[in-house]
Amino acid sequence: MKTEARLWVRLKVIDLVAQTAWMTLTGKMGFAGDLCGILRYSCWMMEAEGDSAAAVCEAIDREIRMDSAFTNQNKHLYSLSVSGGGKEAATGDLTIERDFPRLDCGGRIFACDLFVSEQGGGKDKGYASRLNERLSGVKVTGMKSGEVWRVLVRAEDLEEAARKVEEMAVTRTRKHGLLLNPHYQAYEFIGTTEITGQ
Amino acid sequence: MARSFKGKVAIIQFPGVNCEYETADAVRSVGLGGDLLRWNEDPALLEEALAVIVPGGFSYQDRIRAGAVSAKDHIMDKLSELASGGRPILGICNGAQVLVESGFIPGIHWERVDLALAPNVMEDREGYYCAWTYLLREGTDCVWTAAIAPGDIVPIPIAHAEGRFTTDDGAVLEEMKKNGQIILRYCTQAGLVDHSFPVNPNGSLENMAGVCNREGNVLAMMPHPERATWLRQVPEDLAGGWGTRRRRAGGDPGKMEAAGPGRIFFESLKRWKEGGA
Repeated sequence: MKTEARLWVRLKVIDLVAQTAWMTLTGKMGFAGDLCGILRYSCWMMEAEGDSAAAVCEAIDREIRMDSAFTNQNKHLYSLSVSGGGKEAATGDLTIERDFPRLDCGGRIFACDLFVSEQGGGKDKGYASRLNERLSGVKVTGMKSGEVWRVLVRAEDLEEAARKVEEMAVTRTRKHGLLLNPHYQAYEFIGTTEITGQ
Repeated sequence: MARSFKGKVAIIQFPGVNCEYETADAVRSVGLGGDLLRWNEDPALLEEALAVIVPGGFSYQDRIRAGAVSAKDHIMDKLSELASGGRPILGICNGAQVLVESGFIPGIHWERVDLALAPNVMEDREGYYCAWTYLLREGTDCVWTAAIAPGDIVPIPIAHAEGRFTTDDGAVLEEMKKNGQIILRYCTQAGLVDHSFPVNPNGSLENMAGVCNREGNVLAMMPHPERATWLRQVPEDLAGGWGTRRRRAGGDPGKMEAAGPGRIFFESLKRWKEGGA
């Protein structure tokens, strides 16, 4: 059965890269009024074949727990979710749907998940074959790896939130955009949710 | 007494750079004055500087993307003003990444980011790569290469993980080529522009190692000329004339202090200052 798996990994301690992004966006780029928080994850989006969503989840979980290319239990939290054939399974010590920094921000707040990957997917094949060498009964057939920036913005609606995040993220000029360079990186929104009051 | 950069080369010390002192030494080796300016000092101090160098290292620990955070710093406003007024600016390695992320290079549309210095693409390996490379001087007139004849080959070392010049804008690439902005290309010892690794050590588009702006006063180069400023910095086993010179000088401290191949970039600046460029 074909299933989709998504692995999110982030540091247990303060992420200084995300902190630097925060300070640059708010202190140097004029987004202090819009940006309410920012988190960064490593992310792997996979397609896999297995008997059931639960079996795929269990098999991938067993491998990524022991492989520091994906997670290091000493320093990372992770969330692995799998869906396929109408079934879902999840594991890990991170509840990704509710992973937000503490907010002290008025107005309507949206969390936008921006997936950033290298054009051409340089490392994707390597990650897939690394897993497939160890998995039995489950085969990873597709892999997209990258970074997710979870950007919390104040906006009137989802469209405005996405537009603001794109403005913060995509480097077009010296003063516009920080999180990715579109000349070698691709990006897509993989989730935008209103979290006002959470 | 207030510090003055009058007639000197200012070397910008962003937090995390590590080549600023040897870059200053390289500048001084040709008889020019060179001094460091911290990124958070008054940018007005740069007004009277002869030129500015953004040195190599890991500014802001390469967080987010090499050069991306420095490009947003206040001091870059002043560099933008100076560069567009014709002041010579050189970015070496991380400094090149800063200039690319600032849109000074290629600078066809000033401050628009038209290039990237992306992670190396290498055969059977990934990440950081150190090696001596050969650079072919091509292209237009540039302050920083004025003393190098077109067609000359200069050996200079590289050390980086993100040195692959690339763009997804074909029109920009064509314009750069038309303008002769690709001023240094990775080549073999004999000058052949071979696209394969290790001649092209990072998968750079068109074997780009150094790109200048149209006006020729701003240059972003990934190789480190300050690490090849004295003959003693040249490895004994380097193929070609410079390696031979180095072997012959072995054991003679005086001869080892002679110029290395990288000094010519700083001599070029001196020539420009003296009006010979």
